[in-house]
Amino acid sequence: MAHPEDVIALCRRFGIEEIPDEGPVVERRDVLALARALKEELGFLFFVYCAATHYPADEKAGLPDRTLVAYRVRRLPSSNGRPTETFPFQLWVPTGESTPSLAGIWAGADWQEREQFDLVGTVFEGHPDLRRLMMPEDWPGHPLRREYAIETQHYPWR
Amino acid sequence: MAVKREEETFERPAFDVFERMPGLDVGLTTAEKLLSWGARNSLWLFPMATSCCGIEFMATAASRFDVDRIGSIARGTPRQCDVMVIAGTITVKMAPRVKRLWDQMPEPKWAIAMGSCAISGDFYRDIYSVVPGVDTFMPIDVYVPGCPPNPDHLLMGIRRLQEKIRAKMEGKWVAPEPRPDIAGLRAPSIPRVGDPDRPPELDQAQLLASMSLGLGGEERRAGAPPLPRPPAPTGQPAAPATMKQPDERAPQTGASGSSDGAKKGSSEGGADA
Repeated sequence: MAHPEDVIALCRRFGIEEIPDEGPVVERRDVLALARALKEELGFLFFVYCAATHYPADEKAGLPDRTLVAYRVRRLPSSNGRPTETFPFQLWVPTGESTPSLAGIWAGADWQEREQFDLVGTVFEGHPDLRRLMMPEDWPGHPLRREYAIETQHYPWR
Repeated sequence: MAVKREEETFERPAFDVFERMPGLDVGLTTAEKLLSWGARNSLWLFPMATSCCGIEFMATAASRFDVDRIGSIARGTPRQCDVMVIAGTITVKMAPRVKRLWDQMPEPKWAIAMGSCAISGDFYRDIYSVVPGVDTFMPIDVYVPGCPPNPDHLLMGIRRLQEKIRAKMEGKWVAPEPRPDIAGLRAPSIPRVGDPDRPPELDQAQLLASMSLGLGGEERRAGAPPLPRPPAPTGQPAAPATMKQPDERAPQTGASGSSDGAKKGSSEGGADA
């Protein structure tokens, strides 16, 4: 996937040498500055999605219980012939910690991050209204985490 | 009297008036027939369309199948409708809303479960968020099977409902015997989370089962020590080779404001978002 020069220059500024298709992995402390630069300097105005995936702890590889949060933002075509450009990036969040919310930069991230909090349990720090979006308000647990079993007792008759 | 009242299961609005007036047995029968004719030929439908069965419901109401010709019109409010057509999967979050809309419909009212999701949950039956059949929380008169049913199947279901209404109003309705395998089943009444009546073992068992795979909730009793939490992560997850550490970063070029922001911790960064 070929990226334009300004995107590559911005990535170099944040220490990213290579942009894979699924997006470079950035540090959590960098993501706010990267997002602000993407929106204000390069014109990525459109927030496409935010998706979180839970990975359980891997004893062999020595990896803790963690969550991968993937973002994708888009720059729409302009009148001077600049084509549409999509930029993905992702970050790791260990369980028990939080990641900065991008809802202050892209308003479209608001409900997307609420959905990820609801289903995966990722805590977005600084989110204006971090409530459940899809599950019932009194639902215990986050259903898309790996430890949430299909045999989990639930009581649909309320 | 033409029909004994204790054998009657259907609500008869004119019954009390005609019962106290002597010599009006013939008029009573005629009025019942008239009411039955009027009720079964003006079944206004309330589409509770939550998924793809709603498309078939629209096709039924459109010109090719034209459900208007048997007197059924779809209305968007429960207060004007006689029949609730539940077309689609009902989730746990939607079920109280469906029940509330059902309670808002005026008597006499009927319900049609359209499609396998509304009847039994189908292959979403075992999912945590899906109600396994709407008849677990509200009464259903006619089941229209299919995934989704064709519009003529829904028409057939409405015709069957009309026959049922006629039989009930004429006093010929015989309630079907429950099958022996489902005769003992009953929808459990579980108080909501936060109610003082709700036993705390339910929350405990659900929380435990959601956190540890393969452990039964019966191992935890009241007074047990708090549930084990997943261990806190000890270190940073392994970063791929494309990610460099901040100290070996390429020299900063331009936009010093952004690079200052890049060195902030995540907590500070979240505060100014």
